[in-house]
Amino acid sequence: MKCFVPVLLRLLLGAVFVAAGALKALDPAAFANDVARYGLLPDAAVNVVALALPWVEVLAGALLIIGWWRQTAALVIAAMNVLFLAAVSLALARGLEVCGCFGAAVARKASAWTLVEDAALLAAAIWVCQTKGDNDETNRGGN
Amino acid sequence: MLRTLQRALCTVAAGTLLGLGVNAVSPRRIPWLRPPRITVPAANQIALEKARRLWEGGDAVFLDARATNAFVAGHIAGALSLPVESFDAAFPSVRSRLATEQALVLYCDGERCDDSIRLLLKLRPLGYTNTHVLVNGWTLWQRAKLPTTKGDAP
Repeated sequence: MKCFVPVLLRLLLGAVFVAAGALKALDPAAFANDVARYGLLPDAAVNVVALALPWVEVLAGALLIIGWWRQTAALVIAAMNVLFLAAVSLALARGLEVCGCFGAAVARKASAWTLVEDAALLAAAIWVCQTKGDNDETNRGGN
Repeated sequence: MLRTLQRALCTVAAGTLLGLGVNAVSPRRIPWLRPPRITVPAANQIALEKARRLWEGGDAVFLDARATNAFVAGHIAGALSLPVESFDAAFPSVRSRLATEQALVLYCDGERCDDSIRLLLKLRPLGYTNTHVLVNGWTLWQRAKLPTTKGDAP
């Protein structure tokens, strides 16, 4: 009997990223403000990143849910989580009241708990990325 | 592994194109290049201590320049919501509560936030000249543990 836990984790991780991306994409101006408030990007790069990032999240999350390019999607999500961890850590260290994690509609501030969430998502993504599954890219010839 | 990396780059590129493409046709589109940030001239700034005294004496109206949902999530007690992004729609309901000589303290959140100075630049031509910006106001106010409330835009 196959264990359902890996599948459940993959679906959950995918759903979190689809939701996080969609909420940001709904209000690009507000998300751009959040990105700007981190103060990590030059002003010229802020809007393009704010437009692109939510859709990369949605796309990677959707790939995880449908189970296509599973390792790729998990890798992209893990990489994004590394960036989020770094950005939120810097924001906390500098005392900034910003998160933008689930878009502006979910008004929340980054806290140590945000770091825990990000770390948990990162761990889940790494785990999904390295587990062998029946739709494992490396075991299949081509798509 | 190499293939996974290539596909990861493809995913990022596809997401980016999707984002820029959706933005091109979206009614909520934003420019690719962010308009330059407006810095608050020193003459328009007010120190937290002075703002606090105005608040305690009831001598100033505080205007929150942030988006409505940020206001609802928490704001300076007694402040009115006047989001600079929807100024034309929001101003009529605020106007009746402001005399032009009224001292106004405008705030948003973050050292780099320019919503409050943009609000000041909209109010000044309407005759509101006694206006001051509390830079990084929401953060400073909370840090000083001064009174805040949550709830609907008035």
